[in-house]
Amino acid sequence: MLATIGRKGGFGSGPQRMRAVTALVLAGVFVAGAAFAQEPAELVVTPAELTVEVGGAAQLAATVRDAAGNEIERTVLFFSRARRSVGVNPAGMVEGYRPGEHTLVAMVPAEEGATNRRAAAVLMTEIPVTIPFPPLASISIAALPGNLYAGTTLPVATSASDSSGAERNPELSWSSSNASVAMVNEFGMLVLGDAGTATVTASAESVSTEVEVRVADNPAVRLELSAPTGTVEVRTGDVVRMSASAFDVSGNEVPDYPLQYASFTRTPATLVAPGAAAFVEPDGAFVAERAGLHTVVAAGGGLTARHSIRAVPRNVRKDWEIVGRGPVRDRHTSDLWVWEGLDGRDYAVTGTWGADGHAYFWDVTDPSSIHLVDTVRVDARTVNDVKVSPDGKFAVIGREGASNRRNGLVVLDVQNPTDGVKIIARYDDQLTGGVHNVFIAPQHILALSGGRRYDILNAEDPTNPYRVGRFELDTPGHGIHDVWVQDGIAWSSNWTDGVVAVDIGGGGMGGAPNNPVMMGSFKYPNGWNHAGFPYRSQSTGKMLVFAGDENFPWSFEPGGDLPDRAAGWVHIAEWDDEDPGGREVARYQVPEAGTHNLWVEDDILYVGYYNGGLRVVDVSGDLRGDLYQQGREIAFFEPADPEGYKRNAPFVWGPQPFKGHIFLSDWNSGLWAIKLVDPETPRNMGEPTS
Amino acid sequence: MTHARRAFGPTLVLLLLAASLAAPVFAEDPEPPRRNYFVYVCAESDDTVHQLRYGPTGFEEVAVIPVGAFPTETEGPHGINISPDGRHWFLSIAHGMPFGTVHKYETGSNEWLGDATLGLFPATMDVSPATGLLYVVNFNLHGDHVPSTISVVETGTMIEVATIDTGVMPHGARMNARGDRLYSVNMMDDELVEVDTMRFEIARRLYLGTDPHAGHTGMDHGDMGHMRAPVVKPTWATKPSPAGKVYVAGNGDSAIYEVDLETWTVSRRLDAGAGENPYNLEITSDGGVLVATYKSGHRIGFWNLESGELIAAPEATRRVPHGVVVSDDDRYAIVSLEGIGGEPGTVEVYDIASTQRVDRIDIGKQAGGIIYWNGEP
Repeated sequence: MLATIGRKGGFGSGPQRMRAVTALVLAGVFVAGAAFAQEPAELVVTPAELTVEVGGAAQLAATVRDAAGNEIERTVLFFSRARRSVGVNPAGMVEGYRPGEHTLVAMVPAEEGATNRRAAAVLMTEIPVTIPFPPLASISIAALPGNLYAGTTLPVATSASDSSGAERNPELSWSSSNASVAMVNEFGMLVLGDAGTATVTASAESVSTEVEVRVADNPAVRLELSAPTGTVEVRTGDVVRMSASAFDVSGNEVPDYPLQYASFTRTPATLVAPGAAAFVEPDGAFVAERAGLHTVVAAGGGLTARHSIRAVPRNVRKDWEIVGRGPVRDRHTSDLWVWEGLDGRDYAVTGTWGADGHAYFWDVTDPSSIHLVDTVRVDARTVNDVKVSPDGKFAVIGREGASNRRNGLVVLDVQNPTDGVKIIARYDDQLTGGVHNVFIAPQHILALSGGRRYDILNAEDPTNPYRVGRFELDTPGHGIHDVWVQDGIAWSSNWTDGVVAVDIGGGGMGGAPNNPVMMGSFKYPNGWNHAGFPYRSQSTGKMLVFAGDENFPWSFEPGGDLPDRAAGWVHIAEWDDEDPGGREVARYQVPEAGTHNLWVEDDILYVGYYNGGLRVVDVSGDLRGDLYQQGREIAFFEPADPEGYKRNAPFVWGPQPFKGHIFLSDWNSGLWAIKLVDPETPRNMGEPTS
Repeated sequence: MTHARRAFGPTLVLLLLAASLAAPVFAEDPEPPRRNYFVYVCAESDDTVHQLRYGPTGFEEVAVIPVGAFPTETEGPHGINISPDGRHWFLSIAHGMPFGTVHKYETGSNEWLGDATLGLFPATMDVSPATGLLYVVNFNLHGDHVPSTISVVETGTMIEVATIDTGVMPHGARMNARGDRLYSVNMMDDELVEVDTMRFEIARRLYLGTDPHAGHTGMDHGDMGHMRAPVVKPTWATKPSPAGKVYVAGNGDSAIYEVDLETWTVSRRLDAGAGENPYNLEITSDGGVLVATYKSGHRIGFWNLESGELIAAPEATRRVPHGVVVSDDDRYAIVSLEGIGGEPGTVEVYDIASTQRVDRIDIGKQAGGIIYWNGEP
């Protein structure tokens, strides 16, 4: 039996009614009376299934019978398996909140007073509830270009919403008053035929909208396609901005002429089965991934134009040499920081993970002779992050797993590590949830708390830090993993919320440490954002955000014998300074490995790529597409140690270039210093060695 | 086996008192068990759960179950419990993004069966034998001191079907035998709450503190708690004893409170001694003995509930005692010890009658949540 009941005055109206119903739903029970001796054998709920509208209500009634069919009084408990979509109150009143197929449950708890160890209601039944989508209210067709030409094709964009105001994506039916003039095909493309006028109609449910399409004769007689002046030969990975225009018989440019781009390639004879060798994006940005003669084609309205470009291997590959090591083999190593000390010597600090709260201080002045100068131990299991102030006077380490669960951070005097590192402050006020990550802006410490927010501490006197500000998102289920500060903007990494930029004094939006102001964000679909590195390209001047993933979709056994594997890649977005926000333009991805911490300097990206080792990538110039495929990888180094915490299992945590060397921390083997060297023989895997 | 729960009562109390006076803590069970006793124990800083067996062959690790989703984050398995039918165990994991989760496993095989996202730092939990629903307190340990909730989870589908507003830092959650009342405490409100598991609402609140503006101890002050500075800082509430008493750990004022459920008042206050800081409690099935972990005192307290006197308080073998359970035959108390830093966690077995420690085993770091399993689904 189906029952549909409209709004009921007894629920009030609007938000008030929703609150009232929600409260009742939380109560979620109908107490029908004291238990009788009869055993309940049947629970009948009527109606057995429901259809209610959004905002509508319906009444459920429950009857409990014994085996003889006699009605008995027993407690019946109602609850919803989708309480944010459909609610039920103690009296069995149901109200619909969101469209969809949902389930309510009615149950008769075990006999009161019984101590049966079998935990289950004695009777339970499900009531399917259908809440149909509200009727579609509107369909809109985005404005078309001012000029439309016979014989051309262009995409048409639409949007739709229902009566609740929610956006919908209905399957549209298209029709045309004159299909020989204009029609929309099954791929959503507006196909223009003869000159004339036609009315194109989009329909779904009982709603339709139409647009008048005026198609002019096509004046174009030729297309021109060009690359920037002088572009004859490029390297793989270079972005070439192709420009195409249509012209009429008089040589005048035809405005709004729709064009599509494609490319094809003739690779050298030595490069067999190259796969996709190049791509060109809808805006005309062309990138060669393989060497060869590439031809870009622009097409529109039966006209085409071509332009060829030769691409040669990028040839950025370097070899590496291990310069020195600070091995840590009895526990996991976490992050690192390298700096020049006040005494002119160079130092590095590394943290430890899942151990007993150590941070190690190394003299790395001579990277070929790295040696431990001091060890600090705090009450923690993990010292996940380590940072040193820009003036080299103090360091901050985060604590996780403190024995009293008051984690917080510890400030260390590192003015003279050779003579000893001293603890000068501990701070855990409202940072008890574990400080997984910290950053030291010149006079402030940003410290994550419990994966929810970061607090901003004044550290003008590092012996006495105190809170001045705090930033936390307000999105549902928000989290945070990392924060990095550059030029008064804090860039935090927030999983599904992506990289979030907050003005704490340099963003021009009135922000300050005691008044952080969110500027914008760059988020991406997989929701794995773990690290972010802001960087202004030296070669293009563009502001870029490098956003690293972290995920472990495969088995992971820190105490096992086999190497572990992670997944994810680096998302690269161009950041709009005027309208803060990011647009993803490129990626760097090593299949079957996953990223961790990042560093970008001198247009070179350094990635701690967990089981993929250290990766060094050329990020000069404009960036589009898959940088790995384009031969932009300069080097990779896998720090295998047969005596490591896990043997021969590279798992690079973090990199830092410093004074011509690359320092890296490896989870299983500690601190490494390497340098890149020119290869004796150029090696571009898969490319011809011209 | 000669030890039996029926022994408790005046006779046993005398025996316990005599034992406490005469006997030091031995390292060996004078009468090894003839059957097996199982516990599941969380290693909160290793993201593992350890299944242990104490029996004729000693104290052994049966299985180590890695838990959590992010291997390079410490997610913190904290609370653990067994379904009344013994077929499943449930585990709360404190840290997520940012919300914690509760997970369902099959006992014995330890196969993961499902999970649900709850609130901030879900911690202690219990299952109602009347409804089969799981009630999990959202401790929100590291958040602002704002009221939190108890999540109600349908364990068949692992869906959170309701949240019950309770108070600041709810912790400890133990069910009565009927499964229609859950007892929990709000640590920063100095409150014991009684949850109506059928109505999904707080049935009664009991203020345990001494705020002069709050009246005498034991007065029900509803939701005034947020205005008071916590003194008692309760961290645990036991299941009700057969005599209708619930025992509350006063971690802040080193006391154990006995609450009479009929009058809903504090009927006794047992002074644990300065610095002992009771954290978790468990009572024997007859309500004769209470076992308490003293988190700061590094001791295990055995109390005669008839007389209200401390029987013994042996020093634990590792720092930071955390959880305690009592075997189904009331013979053993099994205690988890967190340790500090890189120390392993430890689980100790005490013979309740003699208050002697009879065995111990090291497990993963920060051994915390612990639950007894009789080994039978």
